[in-house]
Amino acid sequence: MIAVEAISARIGAVEVLSDISFSVAPGALLAVLGANGAGKTSLLRSVSNLLPLSGGRVTYDRQDISGIAPHLLARKGLVHVPQGRQIVPTLSVLDNLLLGASHLSQNDPDMMRKNLEDEFTRFPVLRERQRIPGGSLSGGEQQMLAVSRALMMRPKVLMLDEPSLGLAPQVARAILRALRSLTEQGVAVILVEQIAIGALKIADNGLVLRNGQVALRGSATELLADRGLVESYLG
Amino acid sequence: MTLTNFIQLLVTGMAMGAIYALTAKGLFIAHLTTNRVNFGQGDFLMAASFISLAAIGAGLPLPLAVLAVVTVLSLMGWGLERFAVRPLDRFGAGRAGGALAWILTTAGMALILQNTVELLWGKSSQYSPPLFSDRRDNVITVGQIGFFLEELLIILAAFAAVGAFWWALFRTRWGRDVYTVAFNPDAASLLGIDVRRTVTSVWIIAALLAAVSGILVGPLVTVHPHMGLIFTIKALAVASLGGFANPIGILVGGILFGVAEALANYWDSKYGDLYPLLFVMAMLVLKPSGIFGESKADIR
Repeated sequence: MIAVEAISARIGAVEVLSDISFSVAPGALLAVLGANGAGKTSLLRSVSNLLPLSGGRVTYDRQDISGIAPHLLARKGLVHVPQGRQIVPTLSVLDNLLLGASHLSQNDPDMMRKNLEDEFTRFPVLRERQRIPGGSLSGGEQQMLAVSRALMMRPKVLMLDEPSLGLAPQVARAILRALRSLTEQGVAVILVEQIAIGALKIADNGLVLRNGQVALRGSATELLADRGLVESYLG
Repeated sequence: MTLTNFIQLLVTGMAMGAIYALTAKGLFIAHLTTNRVNFGQGDFLMAASFISLAAIGAGLPLPLAVLAVVTVLSLMGWGLERFAVRPLDRFGAGRAGGALAWILTTAGMALILQNTVELLWGKSSQYSPPLFSDRRDNVITVGQIGFFLEELLIILAAFAAVGAFWWALFRTRWGRDVYTVAFNPDAASLLGIDVRRTVTSVWIIAALLAAVSGILVGPLVTVHPHMGLIFTIKALAVASLGGFANPIGILVGGILFGVAEALANYWDSKYGDLYPLLFVMAMLVLKPSGIFGESKADIR
């Protein structure tokens, strides 16, 4: 579904990503791990073209996507939930949910209603609180809203940047479980996480970054079997 | 002052106040989305007045004259963003703006506008024909009190424009996009929002608010090429009353400002315009976030 081929990127003079390759098939979940500053966020930002590549290419749905504007990629189903959830605090929960969906090229109101209903079933708390401003939700509720808002865009590839950051452990687990169930519907998921073990438990494959390079890769089972090595890279 | 005087001043003040509110909303929406304002907002209003005057003078019916003003002002708003604001982005650290060059370029565009209008229509003041009735001083009498019909209709039209703006901002996808881009442009683009197009549309809407104000203010004042600056200043004052964040605060602030000005001019026709501005200045010293300002841009 998505293939990253030897990409590099720089911010100013600093090379933040160097020669990174991986691919994720429909229905697979890749966990991207690494310490602070390893390049996890930069990796997602380059895939969605918020950060220009200095080398390599990304293909999505067998199409080279270099140079396609981020908002067009999002409309095509390459959906990126950035760090910090980015819930618009002044808009209601419902308006936040409709934000992304309302820009899809096939903007079918019936489909939108059905998707909305699906999300309200996935996270019932969003239905109860749909009229209140997004800013007054708790951290966990905001993360649910961020995931639901992304799913309203009917992603084929869903990239999440540290969805469990700042959440209570049981809330984080609920979010991760919801992500796993998405892959059963054929969504390819790229999950950037600091909580390595929790992420690997739901992942098919894992990738550990250090200094912008791939330090370690393997199936989730392999990586879980060698926890000590994985953790030595996380700092 | 008699009660009749007072009510008449109230109506005149409300008419001007509604114009100030509309102009201030143009500043507010651009500031909300891009952290920038058009220092020539008042001159856009002036240009709109002249174009409307010329179009009506040329015998166009009001709807066509409005269409002409709206078309020209949309192009001006688009051009301002495209050529005087956006090219500067690469000099500054994005929205946070190390560069304040847009202050100079938007004010510079204002000077170009003033001089263009002077070249086309001359330096002298112009009398603007009434918009809605056949004479500017048609009076309708309610009880004992006479009102200028034109003023009442201008207030109605200004309120309709305020209502349309409110609806666009809080009830449409466009308004949702504007608040999202204002919150975080990168996050907005990840939600499929075309940030550049949204920003362009905001500058066009700001220019259209000047267009409506310019058309409506014509019959209330004498129109001349250098009338713009004082509108920019008053609109900045009104927008600060709303803390640049609260569209309803800006409406209330605009009306209060207009009424205060009308009353001040009744007592002191020489320096009347000064008092409301002094009041806003004093208020900003006491409460810099504005009377109706809030820490968050959330009023719903």
